[in-house]
Amino acid sequence: MIITRRGLGLAAAATSLSMPAVAQNEPIKIGWLAAMTGPSSAPAIGFNRGVMWAAEAINNSGGVKGRKVEIITRDTQGDPTKAVNATQEMISQLRVHAIWGPTNSGESLAVTAIMARAKMPNIHPCVVDSLIDPVKYPNAFRIAPSNTQWDDAVRSYTLNIAKVKKVAVIGDTTGYGVSAANASAAAFQKDGAEVVTKANIDATQPDMTPDMLRARNAGAQAIIIWSVSTGMIARLLNTRAAMGWDVPFIGHPALASGEIGALIDKPANWEKVYAIGYKSCSYDASGKLPPRNQELVQRLQGKVNLQDTLLWWVACGIDAVELVTKAVEATGATSNQAIIAHWNSLKQYPGYFGEYSFTAQDHNGYPVSDVVMSAASTGKNGTFALAPGYG
Amino acid sequence: MLASILASGLAVGAVYALIGITYNTMFSTSRVMSFTAGQLGMLGGVFGSLFVLRLGLPVPLGLLATLSCCALLGVVTEVVAVRPVLKSLDQHLYVLSTLAVALLIQHATALEWSTEPQPFPRLVGIGAGIWDEKYWLPVVACAATILGLEYLYRYTLVGRAFVAIAEDNFAARALGLPERNLRMASYALAGAVGALAGFAGGQLLLAFFANGPLLNFYGFIPVALGGLGNNRGAVIGGLLLGLFQQAANFMVGGIFSSVAVFTLFIIVLLARPQGMFGAPAARRV
Repeated sequence: MIITRRGLGLAAAATSLSMPAVAQNEPIKIGWLAAMTGPSSAPAIGFNRGVMWAAEAINNSGGVKGRKVEIITRDTQGDPTKAVNATQEMISQLRVHAIWGPTNSGESLAVTAIMARAKMPNIHPCVVDSLIDPVKYPNAFRIAPSNTQWDDAVRSYTLNIAKVKKVAVIGDTTGYGVSAANASAAAFQKDGAEVVTKANIDATQPDMTPDMLRARNAGAQAIIIWSVSTGMIARLLNTRAAMGWDVPFIGHPALASGEIGALIDKPANWEKVYAIGYKSCSYDASGKLPPRNQELVQRLQGKVNLQDTLLWWVACGIDAVELVTKAVEATGATSNQAIIAHWNSLKQYPGYFGEYSFTAQDHNGYPVSDVVMSAASTGKNGTFALAPGYG
Repeated sequence: MLASILASGLAVGAVYALIGITYNTMFSTSRVMSFTAGQLGMLGGVFGSLFVLRLGLPVPLGLLATLSCCALLGVVTEVVAVRPVLKSLDQHLYVLSTLAVALLIQHATALEWSTEPQPFPRLVGIGAGIWDEKYWLPVVACAATILGLEYLYRYTLVGRAFVAIAEDNFAARALGLPERNLRMASYALAGAVGALAGFAGGQLLLAFFANGPLLNFYGFIPVALGGLGNNRGAVIGGLLLGLFQQAANFMVGGIFSSVAVFTLFIIVLLARPQGMFGAPAARRV
């Protein structure tokens, strides 16, 4: 058979004419960079339950304008190298329409620039401030609080609700622990509080008596904690009890980790401990969540296990999938530009985890007013009671 | 404050001393510094928590099972990481091989046990405050170990054979002593001593996979301070290290206490390279 230039041209035209039909039936492909195994897998497992539930719910109701949602998961194991490889695979081979994740800052720091080069729409919940920069990374959007927002919430509760003016700031010796404690101490001092002592403790230090005695002798009225080490936190709480001191602990969400319950000497040691939490996933004095999430929990019942995870992880996973599908629904397109432009126009988008607002200049979408303090020992189905003082 | 420094300083120091003895026991029959010593201590806590807390075994049975498991691991270390490199001791390949086994143990523990610290049970339920069992148990375990080893080395045939191998490997073999079996036995003994360190200090250190590197580092210091192969030196070095570290924690705080410890360590080694209680190596000319 002789291939003529005209024949080739006609064939190409016919192919291009058929493209829109293919695209309209093509599934909406969402890449999901999840640290499903390894040391930091707990959040991703929770997020994943929300992601899978949302995708199934959308597909069961007919999809988005007839298009199914396809979740393409890659287990990054919390390893930045694996996250980079998975990101490159998603961009160049799998050709996903948007990426959700990674879910920890170490991985996110490694892949954000790669996604920016490919103009890949990206949503993530990582807290490191520098991950969001609409000029350098116009494709990246955050749907959880940043470190600064956490810090603001802790400081606001300590100074305005607990009415404490003298604090001891304690972090661990990891990069995160040191930088978070330094930033927190500086912000407290800027707001007129007295930082009576600041310490970075090795998480494996067996005895916390020296650090707690130093804080007490310096007159600390609250201990501000910036660490993910449950062993260190439990030791500090046990030491506080052994000293007969009832100073409140305020700080990092890890203060509410279930692991601490197993490590403290007695349940009372976990009283007067307030961890960063979220209004949408906190129950009030009557034990009720905000109506929207009360209804979500009922819908999840029997389908998604909330006993061993946090509701905000599940809710955030649902929101991530819905943010992508709503963008496709609203714009009728899956192009990078259309999805990013749609997200830039969102104002108080009602997610389950929070009401997100983005502009072209601000990609920190989570409202700071929704970051609250929870009573750390009150965990129930992945939710917590609001700390005292919220009225 | 002084009572607290003494209680926790001696407790942590006793754990370091036991890890130092673990190093020495393995070194004496093989001339190898095995970097699995700290991991054996870590496993003492993990197995203790597993057997007593999770599986509900009585404490004596849990202790026996923990010591047995770690003794077995000691033998495996000897077979896998030490025996193949004994012929080229001067190339120090054992550093790589024992570190590899140590990493293997740590990662396997992280995967199979947990990456978060797990609780360790109360063992005898005696004492409170600075007299809590978590403070005196490691000291008692250390004292029992050093007495037991003294008895073994001085009054038993096997112990004397250990000493003979340690003194002169070639002469001992020429006398017909089963050098390989004795070396395996010493690694099993070291495994049990390391496990005892982790078990007795479990309430202080918790059952945590990351304790291995910590014990490897801090357990090595008593060996260097006390003189290589000198168990009594390791005990004194370990206890002094624990007390100094805890005092530094009080005086200068967490991060800086490590700096203080290692500064003192370097100063001591500069002044006495053979350790505080070690004799300079004599060479017949």
